[in-house]
Amino acid sequence: MFSASEPKILELRTISFSYTRQRPLIRELSLSVGEGEFIGLLGANGSGKSTMLKLGSGILRPSRGNILLWSKPLHAYHNRDRAKLISYLPQMLDITAPFTIRELVGMGLYPYDIPPAMSVDSALEMVGLQGKASAYLADLSGGEKRRTFIAMTLVQGAGLLLLDEPLANLDIKYQIELVRLLKTLRNEKNISIVMALHDINMALQFSKVMLVKDGAILGVGSPEEVLTDALIQDAFDVRVNIMRQTDGSSYIHYGDNA
Amino acid sequence: MRSMKLKIVFIVCIPVLAFGLSLVAGPKMINPFSADDISREILFSIRAPRSLVALLMGMALGASGAVLQGILKNPLADPYILGISSGASLAAALGIMAGAVFLGTFTIPLLAFIGALITGSIVGIMGWKRGGLWPERLLLAGVGLSFLFSALLMLFMSISNDEGLRKAMLWIFGDLSMSEWSKIPYGVIFVGIGVLMSLSRAKALNALILGDEFAHSLGFSPHKERFILFVAVGLLTAASVSLGGMIGFIGLLVPHIIRFFIGSDSRLLIPCSALIGGALLCVADIISKSVLPPMELPAGIVTAIIGSPYFLYLLRRKNVLSI
Repeated sequence: MFSASEPKILELRTISFSYTRQRPLIRELSLSVGEGEFIGLLGANGSGKSTMLKLGSGILRPSRGNILLWSKPLHAYHNRDRAKLISYLPQMLDITAPFTIRELVGMGLYPYDIPPAMSVDSALEMVGLQGKASAYLADLSGGEKRRTFIAMTLVQGAGLLLLDEPLANLDIKYQIELVRLLKTLRNEKNISIVMALHDINMALQFSKVMLVKDGAILGVGSPEEVLTDALIQDAFDVRVNIMRQTDGSSYIHYGDNA
Repeated sequence: MRSMKLKIVFIVCIPVLAFGLSLVAGPKMINPFSADDISREILFSIRAPRSLVALLMGMALGASGAVLQGILKNPLADPYILGISSGASLAAALGIMAGAVFLGTFTIPLLAFIGALITGSIVGIMGWKRGGLWPERLLLAGVGLSFLFSALLMLFMSISNDEGLRKAMLWIFGDLSMSEWSKIPYGVIFVGIGVLMSLSRAKALNALILGDEFAHSLGFSPHKERFILFVAVGLLTAASVSLGGMIGFIGLLVPHIIRFFIGSDSRLLIPCSALIGGALLCVADIISKSVLPPMELPAGIVTAIIGSPYFLYLLRRKNVLSI
């Protein structure tokens, strides 16, 4: 699945998890994230994407199996030390907070006693919000809100970002903008990113995709390998055709379903 | 940045002025620089402890309101609405009626602290569902418990002996006119520790306002932080209830005023709410002493008359559910 030389940042080893005793939500899941990887975690609603990200960030503890961060058990880290390595952004469909953008981005400094390299101003500049530092969160567009929190994670300085549906409820323009920003961060800062998404078309734009169903992984690899008609039908319970163009691009065709 | 510093200097000056004024003003104006013996005695034995109690109690109310509104992400939270104050009062009143004195002047505040923690825990358990605190459930549980505790208090008072009843009545309806120097040591200790504890967790409180998952990601343990802040609120509530009985609305009102001027960063909001809470209660006390001399209005009535219209105005505001 991965080349042996690629250093692993986060490894989930045969983990299981359930909220209630009856139904396991995650079953013997194994996955790993290497340095500089940009992974789309694709699956239908309720497939376990969010739970996987929460397990990977340590918010939830697996009932079985191990999670390793830089080869050390995730829960052996002190909270503040872990926060310098992993940053998790929850779904924020209805986030409200009474803070200014500068205050919010500055919260990325909380795990530190001595401020790290990235200043609040340079993080704001990087996400293109330098003119909005004094604005309140409520005054921003959906795309700007997401970028605010991306800037917070930049200040936090974590090498791994786990993002839960950062594109949800965004206009297509902001979706493209945000993905472009994340790709820039990956390229310039070598930050690894795993983001949950449920838009198959968007997943086709990633270099690496994990397809998820019922708390297990159906396939990992390039979109060509993973996003096949058969696997998508399995994951989403719907018949679709992936149309591959001669120029290498591809898109989803809904066929009789639409 | 400079205007923020100016605002903070302003906020620090207000309680100093209010405190000074509450020493000087009253049914009889006293000039501390040319006071005769009687005036000096009034100043030292009556007004100074009373002004200090007002300042400390207002600080406790302001800071606890700022912390609770943050923990619960609800602009209507304060120790009264959540029933924590009535729990503290019930425990303290029971102690007074039983004549408990095992720890000297610290007995009643410690009982109030235990009452506050127990009530807070019950409210927390009632408001906890599916791994999270539900603000509406918390508020309803708090209101429910308040009624229950008030009824219990009445019940115990109606079956208590005359001496215990008289003392408890005086205390419950007690206002700042009962202030004396013996209240100051525990007031300073409880309010001091409560405010410092809250301040030391101010960053965590900011993160909790964003949500438990954000707080975790920023390196905090949400449950642990909430517990520490809750203990701090318990100390502050115990102090305010023991110092002057029930005085409402400062905890609710003051943090909103502060948010309007300096924003919501808890590192500033908590100390500024404490300072302005102290100042407001000093001012309320001046009004209560001076409006209808020689009669005194309880300061609680004055703060309620100022606070209630603001509370109603808040309810009418659209963003009332975001702090």
